[in-house]
Amino acid sequence: MFIINCPFCGERDQSEFSSGGEAHIVRPKQPTELSDDEWAEYLFMRKNIKGIQFERWNHAHGCRKWFNMVRDTSNDKIHAIYKMGEKPPVK
Amino acid sequence: MLNINYPKIDKKSYNDIELSLEEPLIKINLRGKKKDFFTKVGKILSIILPTESNTSSSNEKFTAMWLSPDEWMIYSKDNNQNIIFDELYNEISKLNHGSITNVSDQWVCINLKGKNIYEMLSTACPFDFTKFKANKNSTTQTLVNHIDVIIHHKEENNLNLFVRRSFSEHLWLWLNDSAKFI
Repeated sequence: MFIINCPFCGERDQSEFSSGGEAHIVRPKQPTELSDDEWAEYLFMRKNIKGIQFERWNHAHGCRKWFNMVRDTSNDKIHAIYKMGEKPPVK
Repeated sequence: MLNINYPKIDKKSYNDIELSLEEPLIKINLRGKKKDFFTKVGKILSIILPTESNTSSSNEKFTAMWLSPDEWMIYSKDNNQNIIFDELYNEISKLNHGSITNVSDQWVCINLKGKNIYEMLSTACPFDFTKFKANKNSTTQTLVNHIDVIIHHKEENNLNLFVRRSFSEHLWLWLNDSAKFI
């Protein structure tokens, strides 16, 4: 259990949120020109880092808005939260 | 309109907790971002939609609750509900300024009164009511006993709790049960 600071509603318990997986995955511009392997790479392959990860989250039981989060998966420490479309504040 | 007597909710009193059904109410969901949307809503309902998160605004007839940056729910005891909805729908939805949905039958409003209501809700709710309690007209969307709810702080120790109709009987039974143990 940890507290997430929703950029719209403020601090809420993690149970109100749902994780949407890795963030900043860019859809290929010409999907028809990709091989099956390249398409599968885009569609299914996700990083599963122990450490700092860029993720998408949804405030499912609140404002229902999506946002991005930089989270350390080893200790659930949240380093940054930013809205969709904004650039990640840390690299 | 659906039968408002379902779910069967009678007025109940426990130790400093009073539970009752606050129906019939008209509930309308408003979504929009455009300037015209705000102008039309203000004109038709004579109300300014709250833009600050977790707040609400009211006049004699309507209460508008903030749900998300581009979504609000208004509720009212007004009997001319279809006229208001039609006017909003024709002026906003049809002209593509935003989206208006009648959710009167989707949500059931339960009124909670008394000193111990926050203590009771906190037994199954992850939300911190400290700030909420201090500010009249605050609203929140959260979970109570794993059920999605919208809570409106009407007056001191007086809340309107909106729950989806299909969950309402279950939540009502839970409220009655937990009120006995406070």
